[in-house]
Amino acid sequence: MNGYPVYLLTRLGQFALVVFIGINIAFIVTHATPIDPVEQSIAAATQYGSTSPEAIALMRQSLKELYGLEGGPIDQYFAFWRRVAVGNFGPSLSAFPTPVSVLIGRALPWTVSLLVVSTLLTWVLGNLLGGLAGYYRQSRTLRLGGLLAMAFHPIPYYIVAFMLLIVFGYLWPVLPISGGYKMNMPRDWSWPFIASLLTHSILPILSLALVGLGGWFMGMRSLVSNIVTEDYVVYAELGGVERRRILASYVMRNALVPQVTGLAMSIGAIFNGAIITEQVFGYPGVGTLLVSAVYAGDYSLVLGITTVSIVAVSLAVLLIDLLHPLLDPRVRAR
Amino acid sequence: MRLWRSIAALLLMGSGIVEAQAQGTISNLPRKETLIVENPEGTIKNAGWFNIWSINAGGQSTGLHQLGMDTFWYIDPQKGVDGVWDNSLASDKPIYNADFTEMTVKLRKGIFWSDGVEFTADDVVYTIQTHMKTNGMRWSAPVQVNVADISAPDSSTVVFKLKKPNSRFHALFTVRWNAMWMMPKHIFEKAGDPLKFAFDPPVTLGPYTLNSYDPDGKWFIWQKRPDWQRTSVARFGEPGPKYVAYIDPGPPDKRVIAQLNHDLDIIHDVSPEGMFTLAKQSKSSHGWFKGFPYAHPDPTLPAVVFNDQNDTFKSRDVRWALALLIDIKAVSMASYRGAATISAIGVPPTGSAPDYYHVPLESWLQAFEIDTGKSKIKPYDPTVGKQIADMLRPSMGDQIPTSADEINKSFGRGWWKPNPKAAHELLERAGYSKKGDKWFMPDGKPFAIKLMVEGEGRPVMTRAGSMITQQWRQFGIDATTVVAQGSMADRRAAGDFEAMITWSVETWGGHPDLSFFLDSWHSQFVAAPGKPQPPRNWQRWANPELDKIIEQIRQTGFDDPKGLELGREYVKLTVREMPTIPLMSYNVFTVMDDTYWTGYPSADKAPYTDPVPNWANTKYMMGRLKPRP
Repeated sequence: MNGYPVYLLTRLGQFALVVFIGINIAFIVTHATPIDPVEQSIAAATQYGSTSPEAIALMRQSLKELYGLEGGPIDQYFAFWRRVAVGNFGPSLSAFPTPVSVLIGRALPWTVSLLVVSTLLTWVLGNLLGGLAGYYRQSRTLRLGGLLAMAFHPIPYYIVAFMLLIVFGYLWPVLPISGGYKMNMPRDWSWPFIASLLTHSILPILSLALVGLGGWFMGMRSLVSNIVTEDYVVYAELGGVERRRILASYVMRNALVPQVTGLAMSIGAIFNGAIITEQVFGYPGVGTLLVSAVYAGDYSLVLGITTVSIVAVSLAVLLIDLLHPLLDPRVRAR
Repeated sequence: MRLWRSIAALLLMGSGIVEAQAQGTISNLPRKETLIVENPEGTIKNAGWFNIWSINAGGQSTGLHQLGMDTFWYIDPQKGVDGVWDNSLASDKPIYNADFTEMTVKLRKGIFWSDGVEFTADDVVYTIQTHMKTNGMRWSAPVQVNVADISAPDSSTVVFKLKKPNSRFHALFTVRWNAMWMMPKHIFEKAGDPLKFAFDPPVTLGPYTLNSYDPDGKWFIWQKRPDWQRTSVARFGEPGPKYVAYIDPGPPDKRVIAQLNHDLDIIHDVSPEGMFTLAKQSKSSHGWFKGFPYAHPDPTLPAVVFNDQNDTFKSRDVRWALALLIDIKAVSMASYRGAATISAIGVPPTGSAPDYYHVPLESWLQAFEIDTGKSKIKPYDPTVGKQIADMLRPSMGDQIPTSADEINKSFGRGWWKPNPKAAHELLERAGYSKKGDKWFMPDGKPFAIKLMVEGEGRPVMTRAGSMITQQWRQFGIDATTVVAQGSMADRRAAGDFEAMITWSVETWGGHPDLSFFLDSWHSQFVAAPGKPQPPRNWQRWANPELDKIIEQIRQTGFDDPKGLELGREYVKLTVREMPTIPLMSYNVFTVMDDTYWTGYPSADKAPYTDPVPNWANTKYMMGRLKPRP
């Protein structure tokens, strides 16, 4: 373990470098967009109402001053990093003057709770069933489950989502198809509110689970199928070790290592939002916020969301890197 | 077996709970007293922001400007409850001095804010002075450009002194979708910086006040004021709905599902296919027209807008040739599945415009002649609207009107007859040549046109653009469609396009005055190539004859009949010059469900206003809506 501090410092350095490069790329890309937030604001403000060309010229100038877009890209770059250093992404340009951090803070709990639940559910079920299917290859029920998981996996997500909408929203309308909770319900954490939150999340979670389950299932089944042929498993079977114990302690435990890495990556990616899910089910969250920010040319907001996402994914990878040597003796030995 | 039974019981119990949860879409409000309306703004990212005077900081058509705001005047896009013009906060029409440098407004008395404070001239003076001294508010720029001074000789009179003559200054305070709204002085003067004040909860002048809203921006619920008699619409009776909810119902398919489940009373807009589904499957759903084409034609005119600063389109002959290559019937079918209301002239065929422009100019259009140099043609075909109706009748049956008047209102009147031979002659006269099956420009390069469309954000217009490029290609022009997506507004303003499907014509709808858009077409506002062009002369067309028309309109009173004559001169000039190719009105598939409410506006029986619910003018609809017995 003497090398661990060095390993830790190296990984921390890599983390800082990845975050720095990632945010810089995000800054360049967002500022290269052909969408000008001032023009978007003018278009929105004048799209239907009366406009005088002289007034528009004045409005354009005023908005540039107000949004702080008057300096060159270099000035804006350094101003951005000054703000990021203190955790402030500045005001949103499409919801001026509300700070970007307030908008992200409002949307993030919805996305995180939705995706953490659906990711964990999918991961646990997919790996459990995949592991069982790989180990008990003769089971008809598990083969059928595998067939279903594989059948759903290649269907484009939005098709599955619309199928659920039509089935549970129209043909058998038992589930709400829009929003995060019932309209006009006080957000007081009472049982009716919690029940409303849960029922509104069923379809989004189900859609994500149906599509995501297959990937974990097939991955785990393949891993387990390989591991069961390893000498130590055969030896354990010949030695009369109980099958359940072989599966839990010898097979699944070994097979889980790459799956845990995959889970960490998925959890990190949660901060990207589930754009299509939020759009289709009208579910609140970061995805909807990101889409509207892109269309409005609101690069402060886009940068805010991408920065949070970059840090989250990098942090997840860092944690896995740091935990791996502690969990897996083979990595520690290297 | 016991395990399976337990699982089945659990599922049954779960579905019961879920079903109970799914019952009704609103908690704690009687559905029968609530009107549920789509807000096309979607999810409002900054829901708790009701300061409508700051630019795009929060939502507008969340009910805020329809039910909470008020200003001096409204012009209805249709017939109006009591005529097209309504004196709302004003008690009379604007009073100008002789040279249009002063405008006096007499205010209605007995109007109160929702917190019980009386609305007076002080509020108007405060609103104007705040905009005069604060940059960056929504109406700062037009106020600062126009107003030299404002005074209130008494509590119900305000006098604007203008920096220069402006016979249309009142348009700033006249609602056509929106206008400059009045601010409550007693609230804002204590609020500090007006750009940083959220105005939550809003104090309203309209007949409703905010009941509740979703902090995540999915819904806003408004409640009828107990003192609604002290608002400007009290003249038209008590508003029907006690509550009005403006919601984000999601993509078009979900709007259709929501209305089929009677959970959405008014859909703002849906695809033509969605409209047809509702017409077929729901007995209680209907559009503006009783049958086909259902949609409400907005006073907006989608067109092929050329960048007239581009050498390719500088010649009138080229622009006319391109118009003569378009088969509008195919464009109507591709874009709106036939549910379009076409217009050959530069005025949207809706509201009062057909009576003022399309009908009186019909004989002129029929007599209009183009000399190609080799032949003389009369390009106008007055039967195109009827041809579209006939084309649709076999599949749509009784839904298609039969009387000529109804067909004209629904599908439009005539359009240009496709004439490839005349187009060929016009292009040749402009120096273009055909080699093989391809056309070449005078400099020898291939005749290529990139037609910009918005993409998935506006699928109907995108389909129209694709059809037009296809028709041009069939003639030998290398035409392609370019999808601009979110960069549309920027590229349009910067002139970064060759031709595009958009609109540079928007009118009042109910009033014949065209200055609403036409003043901005004066050559004094045409930007140099590459510089941002102010709305709405996106085609960057400059014409001395047009300048003269605009200058005369500026010196003519708003209701002066001479203004109408000048408007017709504009139409004739643009027919001759074809700076843009007008296609059709912007038809909005607003679908209304009669399950809980009756009395919606409709083309045949109740054309008292535009049903498109994001228009602030729809405040007049509330007084006509009655609960279904």
